[in-house]
Amino acid sequence: MITLRGLTKRFGATVAVDALTIDVAPGRVTGFLGPNGAGKSTTMRMILGLDRPSAGQALVGGRTYRELRRPLREVGALLDARAIHPARSGRAHLLAMAHSNGIPAGRVDEVLDTVGLDGHAAGKPGRTLSLGMGQRLGIAGALLGDPPVLMFDEPVNGLDPDGVRWVRQLTRSLADEGRTVFVSSHLMSEMQLTADQLVVIGRGRLLADAPIDDVIAGSAVAVRVRSPHPDGLATLAARLTATGATVEAAGPHELTVTGTTADRVGDLAHELGVRLHELSPHGASLEQAFMELTAGSVEYAGGPTGGGTR
Amino acid sequence: MSTDTRPNLLRGAVAAEWTKLSSVRSTWWTALSGVLLMAASAGQLAIYAANANTNDDPADDPGVVAAGSVVIDAVELTQYAVLALGLLAITAEFTSGTIRTTLQCTPSRGRVLLAKAMVAGAVTFVLGLLLGGVGALVARPVLGEWGRAPAADTIGDIVAVATYLALVGVLALGLGAALRSAVLTIIVLLATLMIVPLSLQEPDIAVLNRIADVFPGVAGGHFLAGDTDPYPGAVGLLLLAGWAGAALLLGRAALRRRDA
Repeated sequence: MITLRGLTKRFGATVAVDALTIDVAPGRVTGFLGPNGAGKSTTMRMILGLDRPSAGQALVGGRTYRELRRPLREVGALLDARAIHPARSGRAHLLAMAHSNGIPAGRVDEVLDTVGLDGHAAGKPGRTLSLGMGQRLGIAGALLGDPPVLMFDEPVNGLDPDGVRWVRQLTRSLADEGRTVFVSSHLMSEMQLTADQLVVIGRGRLLADAPIDDVIAGSAVAVRVRSPHPDGLATLAARLTATGATVEAAGPHELTVTGTTADRVGDLAHELGVRLHELSPHGASLEQAFMELTAGSVEYAGGPTGGGTR
Repeated sequence: MSTDTRPNLLRGAVAAEWTKLSSVRSTWWTALSGVLLMAASAGQLAIYAANANTNDDPADDPGVVAAGSVVIDAVELTQYAVLALGLLAITAEFTSGTIRTTLQCTPSRGRVLLAKAMVAGAVTFVLGLLLGGVGALVARPVLGEWGRAPAADTIGDIVAVATYLALVGVLALGLGAALRSAVLTIIVLLATLMIVPLSLQEPDIAVLNRIADVFPGVAGGHFLAGDTDPYPGAVGLLLLAGWAGAALLLGRAALRRRDA
């Protein structure tokens, strides 16, 4: 269980995280979604006691991170896969972590096995690890103490499709074991496949904290209508507008209709005798919901979407 | 759980720091470069001493020289290789970002720094013993008829050298934690160990000399030489230890205050 109460972080005049109050519950995967610079990584760093909150509290199992005596047994976290000493092997990196928390050295081989790093890869110096191997090593570190709470910051960054599927299965099984799983991502499609609950932030503010299905259902649905007869389509458009729907002509043979349902459009077309070639609902995706939620809260509008991780 | 006692937590942190220090090759290269530097500078200083005794100028004759004192003089240069071990133990963590992993494992900033100080201090002490031994073994035969190396005195000098190096190693670690950058730390160390006290001593004004005597390098020098003036060697040791302790406190304050 992760509890944030009015969690705030200011850097000078900039408010990176703005009075965030959420509970991340055990037994499910909670996706942490937001555009670049939304404050996801800063929030995670505050939960781990790395950044000091300007106001508010971040608690793990009811205690602040700095109060934890053997923290790896309580919270496992993958923050930055590139944060490994260039000359140190992955195995030594994990071994040092294990020693610090009184975890038996044998556990290192167990987690290396779990994340699919063989002896050769684990023995290579940090600088030679690919981003994907670094991610696996970071996940191994998070699993080391067999903790009830796990946090992954952009875990699928740099992973190949097999790796992505593996992370998906891993987060799912960790949640099914009753653990708290908090995963940040800017990949909406990935969240749609993994998360049960969604926390969306923009410019440090909480935009949504709800089951993923509710977030998707809350977004507007657009219906696309195609017909070989422009005249019939125009008649249909006029009737739809008369019933309160919003109609946009996407071309002589195509309409985009919002404010109604595909069923309703189909009934009307039948009634008017307009032949249709396509009638399809669009935008009922997390992507669409996300765009609507974060509209106006994007820090770098117009920029490409990438991992805003330091 | 009874295993979560403070000593146990510190023991774990120490084991982690030792694993980190010993698992990178640069540690061993630094130690090797220290040994080579010591051998070279002890050899050179021994040649100078022997030459001064045999040249035409009777005014500069040092007479019969103890191998231990050659070792002590050679430490002036060799110490920078040893300092690197102390400061890299922390600055490399800032450079590579592993400081975040370290603080995730051990959230107590004081415990992290104490564990690092214990490991860096122990490693530089043992390295100091090795360096002292190597220096004496090189200096004695080079000095030839102009040298002496009574066992008890030489061992005493070697232990003193090791103690001095352990304390400046910890001083470097504390400063590194406060300053974060290896280059900046080296500059500050050079200034406090050498440049500032040398500048103060240059005009040979009594009050400036007194101020210079408080600096860690000068205090350490008085300790190593076993001086009685301006203060006993033991006071020099205490002054140096005070500097190392103060640097650790400074480093701890910086680690606590700053975001990682």
